Amino acid sequence: MSTLEFLPRPKDAAPWRIRSNSLVMKITFASTIPTIAAITIGKVFQIPGPIVLLIVFLPLQLLASSLAAASTRGRRGIADAQLNVGVLFATIFVAIMLGSVLFSVVSFGLNAISPHFAYQNNVYVTSTTSLEYGGAGHALLGTVLVVGLASLIAVPVGIAVAVYLTETRGRLRGPVRFFAQSMSGLPSIVAGLFIFAVFISTGLSRPAGWLASAALVLLMLPTVIRMSEEVLKLVPGDLRSAALALGAPQRKAFFLVIMPAAKTGLVTAILLGIARVVGETAPLLLTMRVNPNTNANVFSGDMATLPTYIFGFLTAGFDTGRARSWAAAFLLLAVVGLIFGAARLLSARSIKK
Amino acid sequence: MNTRQVAKGDRAFFAISTAAAMFTMALVFAVLIFLSIRSWSTFTEQGLGFITGSTWDASSTPGTFQILPMLVGSLVVSILGLIIAVPTSVAVAYFIEYMAPPKVAKLATLLIDLLAALPSVVIGLWGLYVLIPQAVSWSQLLSTHLSFIPFFRTDFENAQGAPFIAGWTVAIMIIPIITSVSREVMGRVDKELVSAASALGGTNFSTMRRVVLPTAKSGILGGVLLGLGRALGETVAIFFVLNLVFETNWYRVLEPKGGNVASLIVAKFSEATATEINALMAAGVVLFILTLIVNMIATSIVQRAERKMAS
Repeated sequence: MSTLEFLPRPKDAAPWRIRSNSLVMKITFASTIPTIAAITIGKVFQIPGPIVLLIVFLPLQLLASSLAAASTRGRRGIADAQLNVGVLFATIFVAIMLGSVLFSVVSFGLNAISPHFAYQNNVYVTSTTSLEYGGAGHALLGTVLVVGLASLIAVPVGIAVAVYLTETRGRLRGPVRFFAQSMSGLPSIVAGLFIFAVFISTGLSRPAGWLASAALVLLMLPTVIRMSEEVLKLVPGDLRSAALALGAPQRKAFFLVIMPAAKTGLVTAILLGIARVVGETAPLLLTMRVNPNTNANVFSGDMATLPTYIFGFLTAGFDTGRARSWAAAFLLLAVVGLIFGAARLLSARSIKK
Repeated sequence: MNTRQVAKGDRAFFAISTAAAMFTMALVFAVLIFLSIRSWSTFTEQGLGFITGSTWDASSTPGTFQILPMLVGSLVVSILGLIIAVPTSVAVAYFIEYMAPPKVAKLATLLIDLLAALPSVVIGLWGLYVLIPQAVSWSQLLSTHLSFIPFFRTDFENAQGAPFIAGWTVAIMIIPIITSVSREVMGRVDKELVSAASALGGTNFSTMRRVVLPTAKSGILGGVLLGLGRALGETVAIFFVLNLVFETNWYRVLEPKGGNVASLIVAKFSEATATEINALMAAGVVLFILTLIVNMIATSIVQRAERKMAS
């Protein structure tokens, strides 16, 4: 038998728990007093909420936390306390901004939206038409068609470029990666101007949906290339070598082994590329003309899309127009959310695997 | 299948991928060349005045097209956006990587990605109806209490359409970009380095100041430049919240006199004459070259930082 007797840990022992009453008091004061003081000062001096947060609450909270930290941890604690307050404040600020955007789109959007808004078109809508008539169905269809056509081109090209970057020993991999990256900062309006300069001002074509798709391809390519490259890089090298050692030609190794292994990741890359361009407005304004009627032909005629629909009603400047643009923003956000959610789900699954 | 067939198939496979890669690279040059050709007449007619003058007159012939106020406006709005976005983004990145419990960090990352996916037209809509009423009251406070600072001096009652508000809008659009790049580089800081710093008695603050930030510095700078590139090219959101005036407003951010190259193109395009369209193309070329330079510097900084951290 060992001479050392192990004492069982007392059931209520928890050394990590804060036990000193004075510390509890300090934490409580440091976290409540600035809030209460800020609310009171804001009410007394009639200062708008966001300003109170910035010029009253933040300094008070910094001061209170510093004092509390100084009295518990000494001078070394002060900087830490201020870091914590500053970082949390910035994070909450971003959360509030995002929350405000989402909340206003949902609350204003729900005012005007109804089932028919998603399928009716806009032909007889004027400034006096009530919200019970007309909708953005034609714009939804237009968005699906224009973005769909853009994806049909951008996805194969993008993945092929990613293949060039990961599967080949091409000499220009560095420059290609560099230019593809730099292109991701191409202003969307410049993409629109480019397509306009090539096709419309030379008289090759009238403004039409497929020109908008061409402009979107320029904006979509960098995202698809970057994401697919990352995904293809993650495929283990052993898998490649094994396929090649078994005598598979490179192309079969890619299509039968590497691509299936990276499948979900590639789909995520495509979805993120689509999410990037589905809300683009500026290039569409230059390359196609807005049509209040439904048009399912991408290759000729005027066409509406959700972003241009929003833009049109915003610049029109009447009350129902404003409501309609909020409703269309709600639809657009729902589309973006769906794509985004699907991408998240797939990438979560691929990580688990 | 004999060797020759294999070689042939593979050659085709590689040829296709190489062609796609070359096509992508050529696109950048094609954009530059096509726009330059279309706008050449403007550059020769207007001369250097195109970027140093401040008159835009399409009604007379041959017309005067000068974009200095717009260029300055683009820079002012972008810098304002950066002033708001950079500290915020770095703080959020630090929160995600070093402070938050894993679940919260995951949620925060998701929110930032969501913010990045918000279409600019939706941000513009929000800016017009939600942000402007708020920001106008903020700017009133600034102009009444801090008007001794030259930036906040204003001769106008209302700040609606001022660069100040556009700066906020742009900040919201570039926060996700800067945050995600900063988060990535901060996450790649060697964990042993961080542990070593705390083992030597460093506080959270000193670890951040002396270890995390110096290591992640160049990556964050790259992210900031990517954000700047985006801010310079932002079009629709700014179009809604900024008042375009052909009068150079260098620093008075609360006066409703702003400029923006990208928004100018949208604003003038639909009713432009043929020569005016060429002038807008020229403005596009200037904008493109500006953003391309910013982005190339950013890309090379980020790529170098990634390589350095990977090794």
